[in-house]
Amino acid sequence: MAGWVSPGVEQPIAFPHKTHIALKVPCTGCHQQAEKGSAAGRPPTALCAACHAASDTKDPEIAKLKAYAEKGEEIPWRRVWRLPSHVFFPHRIHVAIAKISCQTCHGPMENLDRPPPRPLKILTMSDCIACHTERKLATDRAAGAKLSKVRAQQLSSDCIVCHR
Amino acid sequence: MALWGMVIDLDRCTGCQACVMACKAENNIPAVGMKEAHKERVISWMQVLTETGEDQHGAKMRFIPRPCLQCDDPPCTKVCPVYATYRNPEGIVAQIYARCIGCRFCMAACPYNAKYFNWHTYQKEAPGQNPDVSLREKGVVEKCTFCHHRLQRARERASAEKREFDPAEYVPACAEACPAQAIVFGDLSDPASEVAKLAHSPRAFRLLEELGTKPKVFYLTEGEAGG
Repeated sequence: MAGWVSPGVEQPIAFPHKTHIALKVPCTGCHQQAEKGSAAGRPPTALCAACHAASDTKDPEIAKLKAYAEKGEEIPWRRVWRLPSHVFFPHRIHVAIAKISCQTCHGPMENLDRPPPRPLKILTMSDCIACHTERKLATDRAAGAKLSKVRAQQLSSDCIVCHR
Repeated sequence: MALWGMVIDLDRCTGCQACVMACKAENNIPAVGMKEAHKERVISWMQVLTETGEDQHGAKMRFIPRPCLQCDDPPCTKVCPVYATYRNPEGIVAQIYARCIGCRFCMAACPYNAKYFNWHTYQKEAPGQNPDVSLREKGVVEKCTFCHHRLQRARERASAEKREFDPAEYVPACAEACPAQAIVFGDLSDPASEVAKLAHSPRAFRLLEELGTKPKVFYLTEGEAGG
């Protein structure tokens, strides 16, 4: 379990998720890799700058962002969420295909007005298995016998799917 | 449910070891070093076994590429005390490294020597490794998985593109690399597939068939070309 929690992570910029969500920016608007790859990744600084460059606000946090952008540097964000190395979790399939909300695993990130020092939710294998079992039952019922082979296998609880 | 299998044509195999190297690159298989190699601890999920023809006074060499034979009735899974190795619904014999306790019962049970033990931590994370396959730690047994991660990748791509997955999209690294096209891979449960047809050919045989392990890797005997 120790691998999941890095206690008290401090970020270089006090990024408020709440403000951005209130402006109707979806999670995948910044975390674009979540829909495309295995890792959700953090947004490139250029993406932040694209919105923030024009503003002339005196906010010290935005000033920090601009400084990074002007120097052409990436913001040295520190990692909060970390999967154990023996687990393979592709974001793409969960976000783009299964359409699971980010909060299901990440907790209520939309309420944060500063970066979280540790993950809001601690997940264990039983959380993964419970979701897979529940969704498989629900899909089975909805689709009757018509559930495609592919969907059935993706919702399987076969060990080798995540531990490979 | 698919039943993945492989047919290796011994007439086509030239013993070039391309399958061995492709497998090592694909599955992050460590180089154990010379000292370990002298202790016969080399890890090679795909191995080209050689045999010198006795009747030709050593003039002719036979090559038998041997991955894990993915037995349909695997002896290795039956002896695992912690269910770290099992036959999955599609017939792939899986090894869950996080669960393996390293007792090596499965290695003793495997009649084909297709399982390997990590005596040390042979490698660390480094550039160039395949991110789809984990690095095995010290004290666990590892084996060929028919490049199962490639199956998942192909399925994922199919569902992202909203279409049914085509079994032809799933090819293990060894079959893909073979320059002589000696390795045919596919779904044995589909009688129309090439692999199923070849598996029923009169030339087909399986290693140590008499043990009743029902391997899903078939071999095609050498023809008369070699005399």
